[in-house]
Amino acid sequence: MRQYVLRRIALAVPTLILVSIIVFAMMRLMPGDVVTRMVEGHAYAPTMDALRKDLGLDRPVHVQYLEWIGNIALHGDFGRSYWTRQPIWDEFARRFPVTLELAALTIVVSVIIGIGVGIVSAVRQDSFADYTGRILSILALSVPYFGLAVVVVVVPSIYFKWTPVWTYVPLTVDPVANLKIMLVPALVFGITRAGPIMRIMRSALLDVLRQDYIRTAWSKGLGERTIVLRHALKNAMIPVISLIGLQMPLYIGGSVIIEAIFRLPGVGLFFFEALSKLDYPVVQSVNLIIAAMVVGLNLVIDLSYAFLDPRIRYR
Amino acid sequence: MATTPASIVLPGVDALAATRTRPWYLDVWVQMLRRKPLGSAGAFIVIVMLAAAVLADVITPYGFAQTSLGERFIVMDRAHWLGTDQLGRDLLTRLVYGARVSLYVGFGAVVLGSVLATLVGILSAYFGGRVDLLVQRGVDAWMAFPPLLLLMSIMSLVGPTAWHITLVLGVAFGIQNSRIIRSVALSIKEHTFVESARAAGSGHVRIATAHILPNVLPTIIVVATTGLSTVILTEASLSFLGLGVPPPYPTWGGMLSLAGLDHMYQAPWLAIWPAVALSLAVFGFNMLGDALRDLLDPRLKGR
Repeated sequence: MRQYVLRRIALAVPTLILVSIIVFAMMRLMPGDVVTRMVEGHAYAPTMDALRKDLGLDRPVHVQYLEWIGNIALHGDFGRSYWTRQPIWDEFARRFPVTLELAALTIVVSVIIGIGVGIVSAVRQDSFADYTGRILSILALSVPYFGLAVVVVVVPSIYFKWTPVWTYVPLTVDPVANLKIMLVPALVFGITRAGPIMRIMRSALLDVLRQDYIRTAWSKGLGERTIVLRHALKNAMIPVISLIGLQMPLYIGGSVIIEAIFRLPGVGLFFFEALSKLDYPVVQSVNLIIAAMVVGLNLVIDLSYAFLDPRIRYR
Repeated sequence: MATTPASIVLPGVDALAATRTRPWYLDVWVQMLRRKPLGSAGAFIVIVMLAAAVLADVITPYGFAQTSLGERFIVMDRAHWLGTDQLGRDLLTRLVYGARVSLYVGFGAVVLGSVLATLVGILSAYFGGRVDLLVQRGVDAWMAFPPLLLLMSIMSLVGPTAWHITLVLGVAFGIQNSRIIRSVALSIKEHTFVESARAAGSGHVRIATAHILPNVLPTIIVVATTGLSTVILTEASLSFLGLGVPPPYPTWGGMLSLAGLDHMYQAPWLAIWPAVALSLAVFGFNMLGDALRDLLDPRLKGR
């Protein structure tokens, strides 16, 4: 098991190096230029050359890259924003709990709905409940989450005099007020993400319920609840977990939009604001941190298979 | 030489012909309706959308940027079926032109991406070894990014235009789907007919284009049709963030965007109709793609 874990970790390293090269090269090779924008629009320095020198952008590209990646690898220093001169890691760490909470709540919502409806759909195959569940999953797949979010922000405020709470309260300050703020965004995002989970839960469980050991469980005289929840569900969960893992990048990408709509001060909004100012170090480092998280998470998911299905370990 | 007399009619053929009450092309549709009702509904939506996009100039009585300050915020009436926005622009007209953007970017990106995916996938699979290893690590690295973050980064650097977004979405689509094409090409490469082609002296190019490509083609078509809805949705997300086709040209994502939020409180239909249009389009392409996948390449079922 330990060797399996170590090998998987070793495989992630070259991927991360390539990721860092991609984000870095992208920022330098594409046409947009932060210096022009800082000097022309905001008079950060008397001339463009002075600012370029100040930011170290006049040096060869590979030197800049090695400095950036070296500081991260050796000192854990992700650099400073060009505009505010604030350390990027501090800002990221300050905002990350918001995004993490949103993602966690979203996953909880989509998993509860997805797995719940999926189980009912599979156990009562071809019944009215099953058809309702399948229609719901198709709807969830079709409605774009940002469209639903805008409608949810606008329509209830007109017809029910209800508006989302705009001022953010951290979870540590007032958990109840915080949950009130986070619940609607998480519901909107979670409902639209539940569609694929419903689908895969249903088909995986249908598959498992046809297997011999389930028939054995029935003939032993076990109740339906025990058979479905204790015997079948664990084996049907592997494709579901693997789907949630594959969708992790979508949760993070979508959080940018959800945070922008519901004005949540998370990493997504930080990234979006940096992007609109072409703040190279922020965009680079945030992209890298998030990509590293995705890689790490996929690793955890691969390892969790080994827990759910011990046979995988020996491959 | 025995020639077959023209007068001979094989038994049963007449009887068979008699049972066939419809021409074959209608038969295909009836079969499709019967076996894939959702797929047919999807096809219907896609056809309506295509027609709207192509005929936009003919069927809309207004211009997409034609303002009329006397007719602001109409809910819906005989002249404006879906109402008007804060500048008195006809919403239905803008949705119809928005369909054009969605389809232009969607089809453009998918065609471009499919060509790229095929090229990368077949090359990677065919040459294997170091080339494959190198290409696949690159694909790994690309897939480690949340797609939206990467696309947002690129779009804000290159600047939002219709051509840029098509190109960027196409490249992203190509890299992502090269994996699927590669896996199919890998299995085809091992067949004996490829080996015999090589033994007969065919070069790399001939084997790749004449033997592997035709066998990958169904998969490419499936990947392209099922991918269309995702591409259209991604385009809408980018337009929503102001990184898509720039105004005044209407896009569904742009019509929903936060820039118009203040107006939407006065006129919720400004948010509802574009969301409905987008949902219908995604539904249509999803269902059509699923049906085509089942008919063309059952191996990919459940992807």
